[in-house]
Amino acid sequence: MDGSHLSVVVDLCPSQWHLSSLHQPYPLDLGSFVSQLLAFLNSHIASRHENSLAVFGAFPGKSVLLYSSANSPSETPSNDANSFPPFKMVDSTIMHNIVQQLDALDQGLDEEAPSALVGALTKALCFINRLTLEFNTSTANATEGLEPLTLSDPRILVLSVSPDQTTSYIPVMNSIFSAQKLKVTIDACQIYGPETVFLQQAAHLTGGSYIYLERRDALLQYLTMAFLPPPSIRQTISVPTQDKIDFRAACFCHKNIVDVGFVCSVCLSIFCQPVPVCSTCRTKFPIKTLQRLNAARPSLPLTSASQSRNSSTPPTPQKINGHASVTPSQPLGPGGLPPSGSINDNSTFHTNGAKNGLGLSG
Amino acid sequence: MPSNNSDVVDDIRDLTPVLNKPHALLPFLQLQSATSLSRLYQSPSSCLSIFRLLDSIERQLVMNLLWLESAISLTTMGAWVVQDQKKVYDDALDMLSKLHILHISGKLSLNTTFKTSLRHAITGGGTTGSFGVPAEKDEKRPPMDVEGLDGYALERWETILHFMVSSGTGQTPTRPSQGVLYLLQRSGLMSNQHGSLPQITSAGFQFLLHPPHAQLWDLLLQYLHMAEERQMDLVEVLTFFFMLSTMELGREYLTENLSQTQKAMLDDLRDYGLIWQRRATSRRFSPTRLATTLTSSSPSLPTSTGAASSSQQGFIVLETNYRVYAYTDNPLQTAVLNLFVSLKYRFPNLVVGSITRDSVRRALNNGISAAQIISYLTAHAHPQMRKFNPLIPVTVQDQIRLWELEKERLKSQEGYLYTAFASQADYEFVLDYAKQLDVVLWENNAKRCFFGSLGGHSNIRNFIERRTSGAT
Amino acid sequence: MNVDSDSDISISDYEENEAGVSRSRTKGKKKATDKRKKDKAKRKPKDVQAYTWEANFARSWETVQEDEGGSLQGAVNDWMARGRRKRLLQPQNAIRRTIIRHMVLLIDLSSSMMDRDMRPTRFAVTLQYAREFVLEWFDQNPLGQMAVVGMRAGVGERICDMSGNPQDVLKSISDRHKLEPIGEPSLQNSIEMARNSMNHLPTHSSREILIIFGSLTTCDPGNIHDTLDECVKNRIRISIVALAAEMKICRDLCDKTGGQFGVALNEGHFKDLLFELVPPPAQRALPRSSAAVSSSTNPAADLIMMGFPTRLPDTSPPSFCVCHSELRSKGFLCPRCLAKICDVPTDCDICGLMIVSSPHLARSYHHLFPVKPYSAVASFDNVADPSTSPSCHACSKIFPTTALHNIVDGMSAIGRYRCPDCETDFCSDCDVFVHDVIHCCPGCGE
Repeated sequence: MDGSHLSVVVDLCPSQWHLSSLHQPYPLDLGSFVSQLLAFLNSHIASRHENSLAVFGAFPGKSVLLYSSANSPSETPSNDANSFPPFKMVDSTIMHNIVQQLDALDQGLDEEAPSALVGALTKALCFINRLTLEFNTSTANATEGLEPLTLSDPRILVLSVSPDQTTSYIPVMNSIFSAQKLKVTIDACQIYGPETVFLQQAAHLTGGSYIYLERRDALLQYLTMAFLPPPSIRQTISVPTQDKIDFRAACFCHKNIVDVGFVCSVCLSIFCQPVPVCSTCRTKFPIKTLQRLNAARPSLPLTSASQSRNSSTPPTPQKINGHASVTPSQPLGPGGLPPSGSINDNSTFHTNGAKNGLGLSG
Repeated sequence: MPSNNSDVVDDIRDLTPVLNKPHALLPFLQLQSATSLSRLYQSPSSCLSIFRLLDSIERQLVMNLLWLESAISLTTMGAWVVQDQKKVYDDALDMLSKLHILHISGKLSLNTTFKTSLRHAITGGGTTGSFGVPAEKDEKRPPMDVEGLDGYALERWETILHFMVSSGTGQTPTRPSQGVLYLLQRSGLMSNQHGSLPQITSAGFQFLLHPPHAQLWDLLLQYLHMAEERQMDLVEVLTFFFMLSTMELGREYLTENLSQTQKAMLDDLRDYGLIWQRRATSRRFSPTRLATTLTSSSPSLPTSTGAASSSQQGFIVLETNYRVYAYTDNPLQTAVLNLFVSLKYRFPNLVVGSITRDSVRRALNNGISAAQIISYLTAHAHPQMRKFNPLIPVTVQDQIRLWELEKERLKSQEGYLYTAFASQADYEFVLDYAKQLDVVLWENNAKRCFFGSLGGHSNIRNFIERRTSGAT
Repeated sequence: MNVDSDSDISISDYEENEAGVSRSRTKGKKKATDKRKKDKAKRKPKDVQAYTWEANFARSWETVQEDEGGSLQGAVNDWMARGRRKRLLQPQNAIRRTIIRHMVLLIDLSSSMMDRDMRPTRFAVTLQYAREFVLEWFDQNPLGQMAVVGMRAGVGERICDMSGNPQDVLKSISDRHKLEPIGEPSLQNSIEMARNSMNHLPTHSSREILIIFGSLTTCDPGNIHDTLDECVKNRIRISIVALAAEMKICRDLCDKTGGQFGVALNEGHFKDLLFELVPPPAQRALPRSSAAVSSSTNPAADLIMMGFPTRLPDTSPPSFCVCHSELRSKGFLCPRCLAKICDVPTDCDICGLMIVSSPHLARSYHHLFPVKPYSAVASFDNVADPSTSPSCHACSKIFPTTALHNIVDGMSAIGRYRCPDCETDFCSDCDVFVHDVIHCCPGCGE
């Protein structure tokens, strides 16, 4: 009850990390990322004796539990007088598992497959559910007819380098809603690649924080300042949140962002203009409705209707093809301006960029 | 849909109020000089342990600054703080600067030594060996397993407490070692005034009702004070405590790398149950759970015999009719309960008693306060009790407080009783005089006696003497 | 009264109930038996007990059976297996459901609700469950709207207007003193009132009436069968949860309108019956044979105009909202008329546009694409392949290595449940969690 639980979902897609290591002006390769990640994880464990940790890796087409403090270790780490045993344990277990998985990838799995972020996210939720159940059994609350308790401050941190995949829209949204039910906060950090709308929504809907990392050289500082504080102290020390999330949706037919859309009552597909037949579920709509709606269409030109989405795949029938809602990549208005003044003149950190999202929520 | 997370956090806060009181050790550290603190900060394990003892806000501030190479301005840091929580933030900064962890001079930066050491602790590496040198596995003599260590620590710790609680009751439990006795007396928990056997003091009774974790630190703080007098190097003592707290349970460590002071401490700590050694001269030692959880915030004292879950969760059921049911067969817990409950029946795993005026008065006379009794009952309440709000029945709470007030109802005043006056006239004459002086506390005309305060006595005596001499 | 015979009653009653017979219950008076009556089937009701304090204990704990070892594992397994079997009955593939729902909750507030056969009273139990029901209903049907009508003193009484905000509905049924039961109920009056309030609704949304009915009588001004016919014509679906006994008219109302009817046996069953109505109903199968004709005239499908609002940040300058006329900085702007609204989803107060945000649509998707039920792995033969994982694919809990005995139908003896698509194994906890909460398979998501 005292400790806070942190589940970290790490995107370990080799091809994306390769691109990230070449990206200028702030290249970041997988090796240095992992070492900074380990320092962050150790900081979490260091903060409190009771803190628990689980790390899930999302590899192309596969998600793996890399480390969890609930599973008893198989081997004890070697003797070392210079390191704290739990840190040593985390470091060696995670390194070992990552290397093992990457080796397995070399041996034939499709490297081009997108990262299994959704799988890792759902596993993280299942894991927290398991902890909650175990916690309730151990305190005998469930059996004695008391309200089932939830863990205090469970959260999930998603570190992603991959762009959104439209096919994972429904699972991601489902995960967000189950996180709300479990009272889990989802924090998200997009380290490389385009802004991800899904993770923005996840963070917003669960009260977490989202950061698009521009200064990749300052990764550890960002992680520490924004994601280390557990939700309980975020009332005192604020973490960046997004002030302006756009919940407008994109239509299925042209991928336009719409203010006012036309929704099929059967499958909830969204269209930017009245259509006679739903392209998703093939439902035919009454003629009268079409006439009425055409007459009632707002005369205002739709504000951002001309903006085309990057994906051009048409929605396939019988399966809703994730309509990536929300505008693409300008999440922060002037409302989210960070404090002025640079924290560090040399290298590691700065808060000046308005787009990095290190704004104040309060 | 908006998430309800903040509500939940509030709820949890209500249940377990965040302790705003800093850890007992921190005020002690604040008193130390900057040089000895910076010697202390040279060891990564000490930095890590002190870091853990800090409050959550302070920890976050340290972490924010840890990876920065240069100082940042106060305003930049302050901008991260929610406006109405400014006081919490200022208190945190104050605490950190008093510990010499933080330098505040227009800009904020961490103490360089502290920063380097904490970085070493988190990333590993360095050559300080501050986390203790583990021993190689010895096939012939395997290390004590975790259960064994728990049992040992528990036995040692409860011996001390049991000795305290049963002193003066005529029982003679196992005496702890001489060193422990000396520590108990020095710390004022027991006193030696009534002859050979030490008696528990009112501070001692209060100590018994503390949660185990606080008890442990109470004793260790006393040990630190004593170490100062014994000319031991305080930094080395502290370093060793912190080293123990970062060690791994169930593993053996070598004594070779310890300093002379620290080797001397092994004996004392063995008596307290913090470490285990095969023989006093052994070159290896194993820390027990008491030691490895020193810096954790919740008490994880190895739980008492057989009742693994109950003592952690609480075992006391208190009814509105003052009845107490305690699900325990731990003699120590029973003895502590006996301080303020009159026990009626004992069964295997159950003790029944009731809170009575006499039992509470006895406790009050021993120096235990009503608030302490209530907080002990709250802390050890059975999970079933937690369904109620308030946890402790209001009737019982109020009554215990009333009993405490009752004790303060009588005021004693010293004075003299004047009696055996020869005649009613004499009596009235003296009484009038005394009334003029306003020193009469009580009078009884029928018995011709009155009670005057101490201050008025000399005047009254002179007056009577003058009268009697004048009459004769 | 002898202990054994008491328990006989409650168990046999329970079995009877399990068989689905809706038991008629004379008010507050329970049957009693002779002592040590061996043959339960031929049990005759003894002379009726007149007073509550002479009634039998409700021996709820006797319905849970211990096995020889005194363990309750069997009972727990049984309970879980029931849940699993229920899930297996659910359709596996994407089905049509009415996502946009309108419901009128009709609560009986007649004097029979003061009956004490549910503790403390039927009325108190009903209010409590109704509150839980409303919360869960809005959670699962974010696009739905609900109204509440009370049946009291022979008339229908509007308690809460059609609203999409759960807080409004909850508030209206939170004050029990305003709802104190009195008089006779009138089914016809209140159904008419509910029907009229749903008349204007568009055809694509469902129109539902849920009646919680405690009486055995109804006091109507006209022919209730006419009302029934009107409801059928208006495609209103009536479901009834009866607290007393089955009435012919109630059964007819439900059967003819396609709703569900149930008689609550006890508090727990009452809740189950109520919560069965939470998930959106599957759309009734229309004759698809002449697809061209029927689907073009399919009244249930329609295109709805919806607005996706702009959310104002917390720091924006405060202004008045149209719904409460209060100064706030948070809020949403209707995209058509730019009115400021406090909460979504709702209908714009100014221009009537339905305003939702995209997550609300997404919240309903799991009804359309349910996770396939996992199959129970029967024995270790099925996991002989060394590549099968020793731990749960989702939460990494280690599977048991010894098989359990006396396993009920539908449960796995070795605690493994396998997804038919990705063929990975899950533990029973994750099985429940995936199907009830997450609604997407952790294995297939990769």
